[in-house]
Amino acid sequence: MFANETARYLASRLVTTVLIVFGAMLMLFALTTLVPGDPARTLLGPQATPELAQRFIAAMGLDQPVHIRLWRFFSALATGDLGVDVVSGRPVWTMIRDVLPYTLILTFASLAVAVAAGVPLGIYAATHRGSWMDSGLAFISVAFIAMPSFVVAIFLLLIFAIWLDWLPVLGASRSGEFWDEFKRMILPTAAIAIGWAGYFARLMRSSMLEVMGEPYIRTARAYGIAERLVTYKYALKNACIPAIALLGFGIGRVLGNAVFIEVVFARPGIGRLIYEGISTRNYPVVQGAVLVMVVLVVLVNLAVDLSYSAIDPRIRRDGAAR
Amino acid sequence: MAAPMVSIQDLVVDASTSRGTAHLLRGVSLDIGRGRILGVVGESGSGKSTLASAMLRLLPPNISRLSGQIRLDGLDLVALAPAEMEAIRGRRVAMIFQDPMTALNPLFTVGLQLIDVLRRREPGLRRADELKQAEAMLATVGIPDPRLRLAAYPHQLSGGMRQRVMIAMALMAQPDLLLADEPTTALDATVEAQIVELFDELRQRFSGSIVFISHHLGLVAELCDDLCVMYGGVIVESGPVTEVLARPRHPYTRALLDCEIDDDASGRLASIPGDVPDPLTVLTGCVFAPRCPHAAPRCLQGQPPLMELEPGRRAACIRADEVLP
Ligand SMILES: Nc1ncnc2c1ncn2[C@@H]1O[C@H](COP(=O)(O)OP(=O)(O)O)[C@@H](O)[C@H]1O
Ligand SMILES: [Mg+2]
Repeated sequence: MFANETARYLASRLVTTVLIVFGAMLMLFALTTLVPGDPARTLLGPQATPELAQRFIAAMGLDQPVHIRLWRFFSALATGDLGVDVVSGRPVWTMIRDVLPYTLILTFASLAVAVAAGVPLGIYAATHRGSWMDSGLAFISVAFIAMPSFVVAIFLLLIFAIWLDWLPVLGASRSGEFWDEFKRMILPTAAIAIGWAGYFARLMRSSMLEVMGEPYIRTARAYGIAERLVTYKYALKNACIPAIALLGFGIGRVLGNAVFIEVVFARPGIGRLIYEGISTRNYPVVQGAVLVMVVLVVLVNLAVDLSYSAIDPRIRRDGAAR
Repeated sequence: MAAPMVSIQDLVVDASTSRGTAHLLRGVSLDIGRGRILGVVGESGSGKSTLASAMLRLLPPNISRLSGQIRLDGLDLVALAPAEMEAIRGRRVAMIFQDPMTALNPLFTVGLQLIDVLRRREPGLRRADELKQAEAMLATVGIPDPRLRLAAYPHQLSGGMRQRVMIAMALMAQPDLLLADEPTTALDATVEAQIVELFDELRQRFSGSIVFISHHLGLVAELCDDLCVMYGGVIVESGPVTEVLARPRHPYTRALLDCEIDDDASGRLASIPGDVPDPLTVLTGCVFAPRCPHAAPRCLQGQPPLMELEPGRRAACIRADEVLP
């Protein structure tokens, strides 16, 4: 009976996913038609002759009627063709493929660190409510949450790279050597992870406290289940549900905000690619990179929703979140 | 008479609240005979749940005072260290809660929750034996297809089935004392009747003592051997259930009986005028005096103790012999 329910649930989630990606594609298409500014003028500069501009527009297909362009846009995307960089002529997909791993690794590493630090600290704070560690953690978490990650980044750079000179300052490893790249990842990862560790700690604390007050925890205690088992088996699983939601949200946010960290640390990445694409009105690059980003975020959310249903049997039945 | 299974002496429970100290139990003394079912009745707010929680030492965190004695077979639970008390829970004392919808963990199967309780009593059993025992227990409490139900999550069961699972959990512990705090209040009338019937069957197989809390006198009359009536954190009357119901000796019991017919579902006894006493007030007179039709000036001089009026019959009323002979 579960297999059937799960299959239906999966199918409905997949439909939503496709719809979201399709919507994003439409909006990206609209970007080229609606955004003010003449791409030819912007790219070729004010001195471009009208003939040159005309040629450029024809090459981009910008002189075609909307429905033709829409059709071309979608059929190209459907075959996985993201177009070419209007300046360098490089295929956009290659450009994305080259930088995407940097962003992905940074995102997952920083959130992994945030979870690894924040979740145990939150549990500790909840199980030692009112202790000085609890208050201290609350203060530090809130301070870290309140600080934008690029501010943290600049401070980290100042302290560890410049004053103490312990870690490499900027960029990704040119040699591609693991240890070198690892060291270069530390500061950007920390810059992102610190705030999110604070979030996870706060969330875990409050959700643990809430769950520990639930009647079913009282039941477990009434039956003499050891406090350790009550905390780490009966309560933790329930308390993790909001943390998983935060993780899904966090991955989307960190991917979206990667540009700040990538600019501050002069690292390659998809955020920077989009940022540079926008500043040069390089629409194919922006479209391609944003689309990849959207697909990533949507996939992450799908994975999160599926992991809920793995944890919470009630979702399997209702086919919807609580 | 054999020594009682449970003997409670002058149990006082206070809680600190933002409005001051709340007196949840104001000196409760009570014996529970071996193998007997004691019914505890009283309006909502009279301290029934607090009494049950105190016997498990599972009181809310804002409790500021717990004093007196709760002797379980001679062992004073009030004096036990927390770790010693943990060893008692789920082995010698078990509890069934009012709301079966929330009392089971939604993320774990029924089987797993039952087996965790079983392991307290019999650690180191083989997995297959654990499953067999859990399955047998579900069958005992009248759950059809017990093997399938072991793999079910609580939300897949009806309220009545969940309460049966809770009862199975309690029996799994094979306790000396089983506390049931309004186990049927959250259920609809048909299911309630089935659960009461189940309790009635179980008392044949179950050797321990049962405390059955209810605000439903009819139900208590059907099921219980002894009765104790609570009001405002005090026991006002106790005795064998048939005798107490046939001839109550405390005006509050009398009033309860009179309005049993129009007792509403919330557990408030609508036809006794006035309200249950606020736990924040300090008693100066009899706890029931403000609502008592027989209150006399001397009733305001202090809360009377629970006095033995005749063998096995106790009431906390100084006018019992005059007004309810
Ligand atoms: N933790 C607490 N803090 C303050 N007051 C409480 C607490 N628990 C119960 N009370 C109050 O004590 C009284 C008795 O509660 P309870 O034992 O739940 O009664 P019953 O189970 O008979 O309805 C009620 O007035 C209730 O509001
Ligand atoms: Mg109650």
